Amino acid sequence: MKISMNAQCKADYGMARCPTAPHRATITRRAGTARPTGFNRRRLLTFLSICLLATIGQAQVVNVSKNFVKKSIVITSFAGGANVSDVLKNDLRLSGSFDIRPAGESAEYSVQGSADAAGVKCYLTQGAAKSSVLARAYPAASNPRTTAHMIADDIVQAVTGQRGIAQTKIAFIYSPKRGVKELAVMDYDGYNAHVLTHDGQISGHPRWSPDGRKILYTSYWKGFPDVLEVDLITNQRRVVANFSGVNSGADYSPDGQTIALTLSKDGNPELYTMNAGGGGLQRLTHTKGAESSPTWSPDGQSITYVSDDRGSPQIYTISRSGGEPTRLTRSPSYNTEPAWSRPPAGADVKPTLAVTSRVGGQFQVGVFEEGTGAVTPKAADGDCTDPTWAPDGHHLVFGKLRGYRSRLYLLDVRTNEQLELFAVDGESSEPAWGPRR
Amino acid sequence: MRSRFVAQVVVLTIITSFSLTGCSWWHRTFGPKKTNQPGTTQPTPLGGGGANGSDLGNNGSRPEGGNMDRAQFAAQTVYFDYDSAKIKPSEHSKLEAVAAALKGNSKKLVIEGHTDERGTAEYNRALGEKRAQSARETLVSLGIAGERMTTVSFGKDRPVEPSHDDTAWSRNRRCEFVVAGQ
Repeated sequence: MKISMNAQCKADYGMARCPTAPHRATITRRAGTARPTGFNRRRLLTFLSICLLATIGQAQVVNVSKNFVKKSIVITSFAGGANVSDVLKNDLRLSGSFDIRPAGESAEYSVQGSADAAGVKCYLTQGAAKSSVLARAYPAASNPRTTAHMIADDIVQAVTGQRGIAQTKIAFIYSPKRGVKELAVMDYDGYNAHVLTHDGQISGHPRWSPDGRKILYTSYWKGFPDVLEVDLITNQRRVVANFSGVNSGADYSPDGQTIALTLSKDGNPELYTMNAGGGGLQRLTHTKGAESSPTWSPDGQSITYVSDDRGSPQIYTISRSGGEPTRLTRSPSYNTEPAWSRPPAGADVKPTLAVTSRVGGQFQVGVFEEGTGAVTPKAADGDCTDPTWAPDGHHLVFGKLRGYRSRLYLLDVRTNEQLELFAVDGESSEPAWGPRR
Repeated sequence: MRSRFVAQVVVLTIITSFSLTGCSWWHRTFGPKKTNQPGTTQPTPLGGGGANGSDLGNNGSRPEGGNMDRAQFAAQTVYFDYDSAKIKPSEHSKLEAVAAALKGNSKKLVIEGHTDERGTAEYNRALGEKRAQSARETLVSLGIAGERMTTVSFGKDRPVEPSHDDTAWSRNRRCEFVVAGQ
């Protein structure tokens, strides 16, 4: 069966921007079917059926990494704990590392559990022999979701050797109505969204402290863009920068001691650093263009940021003590919002820079390839912007406009699978993935 | 036979386009209800601290208090090309009018910079600031003292036109001049 495919499109972008059509691997030719020689009704019906199946799962499986293979897993039974097992199943799905088989089917890994007032017990076994991989009891928690997330992380760790992300949080900007943007935090799976500010003004660009206790963000609480920091434990806010002009783009260094930010008090927006506790302001850039959106390198020795000094915005890196910047991106012609991943030592992935590019008027999330200097698109099915990395270095959350309404999506860079995060009604944008505690 | 085929195509197309919309209706109808829970109490803003400073540099200090007059220079809103912070020659006369009205008094000015909705919030905040500073530099060159003028960028967050077309976008790429107190 021939599905017409734009070959050039596929070469450039995999299938991310190409007409929605099933991956060839999913098309099976029925035995005895004659090789089609032209358009006919059966082809049309089969094509539509497969489009239906491909889209109903809400996943775009493209560019599957050759080295990455999902492990099959089945949740055989979870007595008394349907709410735990539902959340667990979703966590295993979001981890991107598992092919979850329906109950009753066989799989390489098998999960069995039980829940009662005392807590939850979970058993993970492997293979037909059901050798025990994990056998653990979890005390009762006020929220069954919390227990499920712990179990999911333990399973991910046991099977892949990498720490899971099910217990992490994502800060984001929540817009309940036009003209109002507030700071909010949710669980990584889109649940438990809490709005942290009620200023009725514009908030933007949240960034976490490395200990996960505080969030820096841009706030128009006094009618001008200032950098505030909110302490999530005490609910106290403090002013970090409220100079003349714009104060924005604040980002914590990996050791939590320094803040990089954008200030325009001395001219057009430039890059500065300051001590996290206040004071020690240092200017790093001196250009005729605008600098913005700093992101610290994982080793904390340099800062990657945006400058439009040469016309359109591109990504540069500069030492934390200033000096001559190094240009990173050249193509496409417009790159903003860099974000370095910070996978832990011993992770199976190295630090990677995500960016927001504009190509042909449309915004895309991509990753920068240091060797070639190219940007590889990862999400380009709509205006996709503002990527933020999970602590595992495998997952991104970003904003996507559908009909000019911004929603948040989770993407696994190993498979390019996307899933929408249903956090709140209203618009969600500018996500920032929190650290592991 | 033909009508059955057509019916099959129609049904499949409907279901396909349904699922292409992202199944969001399904989740909203049958999925768990997610409500916006205002969680923690309103954080109390602590004044001062941090890197508070009034380094004038190239930017005037912020005006305190209310009395913001948007009407006086409403007709002098300056418009910009896409991606650009350059003052177009066609807009220059508006800046001359603002400068003329500011001579002979000590009124302070807040120059607002805005962008259209396309692009990221953060880069647009920087671009809006560049636009406001472009207008400010022109006013300085026309003889208005820098300390009288402060810039504020709203990025893409305060459009005047909410629609999503070129006309709206061109009207949102602008600087507005607001007279601040005396």
